Amino acid sequence: MTDPHPPIPLLHLDHVSRQLAGREVVRELDLQLQRGEVLGLLGINGAGKSTTLRLIAGVLAPNRGKVLIDGADLYENPTLARTRIGYLPERAPLHAELTVVEYLRFCARLRGLGRTGVASALQRELERCDLGEVRNRLIGNLSKGFQQRVGIAQALLHEPALIVLDEPASGLDPVQSLRMRELIRSLRGAHGVILSTHQLSEVGSCCDRIAILHRGELRHSATYAAQEGAQLEQLFMRIATDADANGQAA
Amino acid sequence: MSTGRLSAVAVLAGHEVRRLWVQPWSWGLLAGTLALLSYFFLLSLDGFLALSTKLAAATDAPGVTDLIAVPLLRTLSNLQLLLVPLLTMRVIAGERRQHSLTLLLSAGIGNSGIVVGKWLACLGYLIVLLTLTAAMPLALAGGANLDFGKLAVVFVAIAFESAALCAIGVLASSWTAQPVLAAALALALNLLLTVLDAGARLQGVSNSAINYLALPTHLEPAFRGVLASVDLGYFALVTMVCLTLATQRVDALRSAD
Repeated sequence: MTDPHPPIPLLHLDHVSRQLAGREVVRELDLQLQRGEVLGLLGINGAGKSTTLRLIAGVLAPNRGKVLIDGADLYENPTLARTRIGYLPERAPLHAELTVVEYLRFCARLRGLGRTGVASALQRELERCDLGEVRNRLIGNLSKGFQQRVGIAQALLHEPALIVLDEPASGLDPVQSLRMRELIRSLRGAHGVILSTHQLSEVGSCCDRIAILHRGELRHSATYAAQEGAQLEQLFMRIATDADANGQAA
Repeated sequence: MSTGRLSAVAVLAGHEVRRLWVQPWSWGLLAGTLALLSYFFLLSLDGFLALSTKLAAATDAPGVTDLIAVPLLRTLSNLQLLLVPLLTMRVIAGERRQHSLTLLLSAGIGNSGIVVGKWLACLGYLIVLLTLTAAMPLALAGGANLDFGKLAVVFVAIAFESAALCAIGVLASSWTAQPVLAAALALALNLLLTVLDAGARLQGVSNSAINYLALPTHLEPAFRGVLASVDLGYFALVTMVCLTLATQRVDALRSAD
């Protein structure tokens, strides 16, 4: 028997479409994410992953459809983005002239944390993202790996219910990538996480569920357990190449 | 705007002020401008002292306020046409270049909140510059008769002018991702507003619509000690129009690739 009152998903993209420069980059996307779940968004370049994440983070508004956070429309309640969503874009939005602590303090206050909340959040994220040794260094002088960690820390400071990560491991060396995956795994449970990636191995180590996008459309969605390793690789390649072949034939 | 968003705007404005103060160019700009104004102040003071015996003998002779304080503040007012574009050029264009505007766009403070926060920070910087400049003639208060009322009128008028110039600069900065181009655009707009009615003035026309649009029309009465609501209204109008256009531009940036 089905539950007459299914739980409201943390995130629901309700048939969302978005055009950019006259091209429909996201088409009728219908996707849900429950609390405690990690969803990996897969797709080749130009599949619409980053645009989808920008829609979820409130940076872009959809042309059609709704982005619902806990059942509330994000664009009718923009303050939801401030308190409920943490977003790391493809390029971490950093202020190079500030120290790590100065920047994170600003981010925490921007998200509405009080004075005591800021201090404890700072301490927690400096530890969680392993930034203690560089806390007083200028962000502009840090390596790419540390800068990416600062970007992650700003997305986690206010303990958002939903964490949106756009290619979080991009530009990181193998050790840093491994640590990033551990960090994402540690977020599972308390937060809902949606991340985009090119790396299928990353999906296997962090994600509970996968969604494959191609040309802005959702082509496949399943739990990772149902679509493991080589099987996922084959499926991904088939979707990308079939769709390309269809596109060329058309 | 809700209380939460208002506090976020205040946080953003404070943060922008901090960012200004940690950058050497900002200190350099302030120090260079103050050095120039100090030199001008000392030259004026020297000239005043040389003329003081003649001035003492004349009836209704201009005093320290008219010969030192007002010209000094008038010079600041003119310098701001060049300074403000340098100050505001990075506020949005620089964020776009650094790819850090996303932080604000995803923080739920709204497009107007971003624009107003940035504008407030630049205005704060200019008010500090104006206060430090006004402190120079005020230092003479112990030994000379200053017209504090007239000084206050000029201070308020320049503060309103600063608000309008900052809004123009923020608007120009929202139009491009190149800070230098933003500065050039803001400078062009400032100069246009300054010379807009030059032709009308040459013809001796002083109360036409084109005169109303020009900046000097609304500053000159203040330098004579007259603070008219129509002049303050003009600066407020320029400020509001520019901030509204900048807000619309930031909204359009959300849709940019």
